[in-house]
Amino acid sequence: MHIPDGYLSPETCAVLYAAAAPFWVVALRRIKRLLNTRMVPLLSVFAAFSFVIMMFNIPLPGGTTGHAIGVGIAAVVLGPWGSMLAISVALLIQALFFGDGGITAFGANSFNMAIVGSLVATAVYRVVGRGAEITATRRVAAAGLAGYAAINAAAFLASIEFGIQPLLFHDASGAPLYAPYPLAIAIPAMMIGHLTIAGIAELIAAGGVVAYLQRSNPSLLKFTAPDAPELDSTRVRTPRSMRPLWIGLAALMILTPLGLLAAGTAWGEWSANDLADPAAREHITTVSQGQAPPSAPPEGLARLSEIWTAPIPDYAPAFLSSPAVGYVLSAMFGSGLVILVTTFVGWLFGRRREKLTTTTPIE
Amino acid sequence: MELAATKYAFELADVTYRYDEITALDGLSLQIESGRRIAVLGANGSGKSTLLRLLDGLYFPDKGTIKSFGEPLTEEAMQDEEFAFAFRRRVALVFQNPDVQLFNPTVFDEVAFGPLQLRWEKSDIRRRIDETLESLEISHLKDRSPHRLSGGEKKRVALASVLILEPEVLLMDEPTAALDPKSRGHVIDFLADRSNAARTVITATHDLDIIEDIADHCLVFENGRLAADGTPSAILADHDLLERTNLIHAHRHRHPDGSFHTHPHAHRFHEHDHEHK
Amino acid sequence: MNKTTSAKSRRHSGTFVERTLTGLVRKTERALFAEEIARADGLLQRLDPRVKIVGLLSLVVTVTLSRNLFTILSVFALGVILAVLSKVPVRELALRIWLSALFFTGAIAVPVLFITAGEPLLRIPLIGWTITAQGLTSALYLTSRVEATATLSILLVLCTSWSSVLKGLRVLHVPVVFVVILGMTYRYIFVILETARDMFEARRSRLVGRLDGRERRHIAAGSIGVLLTKSFYLHHEVFLAMQSRGFRGEVYVLDEFAMHSRDWLALAGFAVLVGAAVWLGRQESLQTLLNLS
Repeated sequence: MHIPDGYLSPETCAVLYAAAAPFWVVALRRIKRLLNTRMVPLLSVFAAFSFVIMMFNIPLPGGTTGHAIGVGIAAVVLGPWGSMLAISVALLIQALFFGDGGITAFGANSFNMAIVGSLVATAVYRVVGRGAEITATRRVAAAGLAGYAAINAAAFLASIEFGIQPLLFHDASGAPLYAPYPLAIAIPAMMIGHLTIAGIAELIAAGGVVAYLQRSNPSLLKFTAPDAPELDSTRVRTPRSMRPLWIGLAALMILTPLGLLAAGTAWGEWSANDLADPAAREHITTVSQGQAPPSAPPEGLARLSEIWTAPIPDYAPAFLSSPAVGYVLSAMFGSGLVILVTTFVGWLFGRRREKLTTTTPIE
Repeated sequence: MELAATKYAFELADVTYRYDEITALDGLSLQIESGRRIAVLGANGSGKSTLLRLLDGLYFPDKGTIKSFGEPLTEEAMQDEEFAFAFRRRVALVFQNPDVQLFNPTVFDEVAFGPLQLRWEKSDIRRRIDETLESLEISHLKDRSPHRLSGGEKKRVALASVLILEPEVLLMDEPTAALDPKSRGHVIDFLADRSNAARTVITATHDLDIIEDIADHCLVFENGRLAADGTPSAILADHDLLERTNLIHAHRHRHPDGSFHTHPHAHRFHEHDHEHK
Repeated sequence: MNKTTSAKSRRHSGTFVERTLTGLVRKTERALFAEEIARADGLLQRLDPRVKIVGLLSLVVTVTLSRNLFTILSVFALGVILAVLSKVPVRELALRIWLSALFFTGAIAVPVLFITAGEPLLRIPLIGWTITAQGLTSALYLTSRVEATATLSILLVLCTSWSSVLKGLRVLHVPVVFVVILGMTYRYIFVILETARDMFEARRSRLVGRLDGRERRHIAAGSIGVLLTKSFYLHHEVFLAMQSRGFRGEVYVLDEFAMHSRDWLALAGFAVLVGAAVWLGRQESLQTLLNLS
């Protein structure tokens, strides 16, 4: 997810720096007004915290581990503006000092993970957690889903940034100059990993931390939840279960692609046919702010769109043959498959260990 | 703005301070004369750190008043930049954990931080940094990062970072905590040296072995209240007081020659934080 | 409980703890390595940090601007020369930067060889896939660009102490408050890293029983929660410590820079190199020099 230097064209980098800059300025002003003298130490220590937890290995269902960016946690504790600044600073130190993520791509990485990530996480947390008590299980689910949605939104943006490179930038011989994979490959390739491994790591981190803070330090959660009703300490709470979180996740996996379909051809999902069709070209020109796409579809894209729609029989409804469907299906299949396999493997190993321990004599 | 020289560095009247539900200081009244060396004794949570933070104008009382050099020390007064700068220059606090006090990239930047915020002349700052580092024998650490320093070195840099301001009042929070014996010795020597620039020194500690060296008056705290005050020798002689305020274990005795002795026998008092079943 | 099973289960339940611990230690070591090299007496170390930041970052941008392989590889070679002149151990550079970039980006670039439309170059026997000239060029673009930019940006931090990097950032018109936040972030990364390491080491010594996935996730999230609470406390203490020394929200810093004649010379040198590389990078005809078709 940390885009290195060399994957994006300087033009793309410049655009994304320009896109990130106003957010940084507004965030800095807002946080300054909100926190006053406390801003500098708060942002510094939280950026350091974010940096450190990016190195944590989060155990995932099935026995693997993954890394979280921590944007879900940051957004839940600091709110969107503090979160985008803290994560940006952590990303800058990673880029400058540890070589994780490029310097020219810092604007892109910040825009994807820190800015859009924080905004998406905040939106999801507010909607799902609306009106819930600070210690409600619903807040755990809200934070988990916030992290999950944020990381996937960021990955989706990154995949679009990758995917438009070969469309826009190639040398005289036609060889792509930067990230070489078109949208039809870049999107599913990025999304499969993030809908599963990275997304779930983020979900566990954000949801788990909120559950922890509810028990040990609920005051830290109050900053972003001013609407939460006062705590009723006399009410006996049932033990928390992660089940609502998993159900929410499943719903999200199903609903996200449906939303894309409902909106027609999603932005960035231009099939080879779209590029040749004048009406579609005009549409793309408007959504990409006046920059006209190349008139002849790159041959690679045309060929690739077939990979994803090949298994769909010809007599199926026409919309099923678009690359958008291809990627949605592959993402869903891919993520479902990974979860199934890891769960099965985990279950298998779990059983075998169980046997081992029960048959060994207890001294 | 200059604050006048007054008899009392601090005057506290009926000061109460609460953290949410916990009362850290409960109706405390006391006066601290300028030029005294005070040891504030008390177990963890007795309110001594809170007292230092109130004296440094970082916390403000929920009830009661604090005056510093005759001027009321309030949140409103500290809003005034002129007053705040005069006060910050005059009163300095060395935190228990040097990591919170050393937040700059290098030792040089650390020592420069205070004077820079108080808007000193830049040429003066450079000169004073050299002098301060020299006097604490840490000139060789000038370009080092704080995370590369030992515990003792960190403590000295933390001291340098406030001594550069030549404060009249030096507040020290547990200065010997978590130090190796040599560094601990350095800190005691520094505090015992009456010629050092700060005239009033208030040290919060539960290290009874050092108080005769560093203080000529002791305040003993218990649950946010002043339990006793007196000279170090009088306080150290009062076993019941020290035991009651959890400053010594029951089995620790002071001999007439002034040394401490630890008996191997079992505790006389047992405290349980759970109930017997 | 049987000894072998307990050892086995400890290893299992500890994997994420162990891995995290290794990661934390490695980060600290890497920072120490960088600080050592920054103190060596080499070419780049002797330059004013502002010159280094402007010069090396311009070269990074130049690499991303280049539209032919010759220029990218030339700037890469320049980076290697600078590394040698600055006493950066090339073996370390090769292991830490070049190899890891090659594995990561190389793996990503392999399919490009086959799926990019263009002139067929080579047909792999047995599987029958065709490598195209465009595919090969594109894969080379990606890997060489990544190698060159990674080398140049790592040279910056290896040959400049972090505090100088920070001060140098101010010439790029990064606001003072941002530079101060960066400096403090870096400082507290080490404090929090240490806290995290202690926490995981204590955890490792206590983890003896078998943990199921749920419990392991519980521990991981709990560790982050503990760290978050500690960080919150830490920020509050730092805030008080700053206030205690007169901080009122605005930060003032000392600028300690002097440009020597060799710095002006170096700046001019960088300008010439960057100018030449930018011009060279725009020559699409140069592609034939290395065109593999």
